[in-house]
Amino acid sequence: MPIGPVAGVSSAAFTPLATLAETASTRGAASTQPSGFGDAVIGALDDLSAAHNTADALATRAATGQLADVHDYTIAATEASLATELTVAVRNKAVEAFTSIMNMPL
Amino acid sequence: MATFPVLSTMANGLSVFRTWMDAVGDNLANLNTVRRTDEAAFQARFVVAEAVDYGNAATPGIGSGSRVAGVAFGSAEGRLVHDPEHPLADEDGMVRLPDIDMATQMTQLIQAQRGYQANLAVVDRARDAYLAALQIGK
Repeated sequence: MPIGPVAGVSSAAFTPLATLAETASTRGAASTQPSGFGDAVIGALDDLSAAHNTADALATRAATGQLADVHDYTIAATEASLATELTVAVRNKAVEAFTSIMNMPL
Repeated sequence: MATFPVLSTMANGLSVFRTWMDAVGDNLANLNTVRRTDEAAFQARFVVAEAVDYGNAATPGIGSGSRVAGVAFGSAEGRLVHDPEHPLADEDGMVRLPDIDMATQMTQLIQAQRGYQANLAVVDRARDAYLAALQIGK
């Protein structure tokens, strides 16, 4: 089986953090631009942050006795935990790929 | 969140069954709610569920669980019971009790509990499956 080039690895894959922050702020409008690995990571981090915010808000409501459904909180916490696992897995893969490239004998 | 659609689907389903348990609890709590004969009896609460079929983003065609469409009410007529000692009894000694059958309510309670547990089981399995998927390639 021929192994094709990894499509995701382009110059966009190594966008500096400052550019990533800009991308994050304009992400909603700039949907027509090609999405690189950086965009994917930023998107995942946004989702992760939203999931944790939801879980935190529900935890506060549970503590103050305003939580109508117990499962709302536990499911939000599960979602947040799964999103974290997913993000960590993606990060580990990225770091692994980067390390492999850096260790390439030249 | 769109990443784990089954979890929000199950949250909807759990809410429906929780509401059903609430309704059964309300019915059981009012089993002995006595009214005057010229008043309406306590009406049994029935939860009306409906499918949420606007679809989820990952798999169009598969809905997003169920939600409570509303609450239907049982008979307002209830049943007339002869209880002349009761302070609410009319001149014939009759009072009005709700037309709620405890055995039916207990059966519904078990159905609601099992439904809730089934939804929780899906959450558990889905979480296990997602975690297993994250182990691919390790």
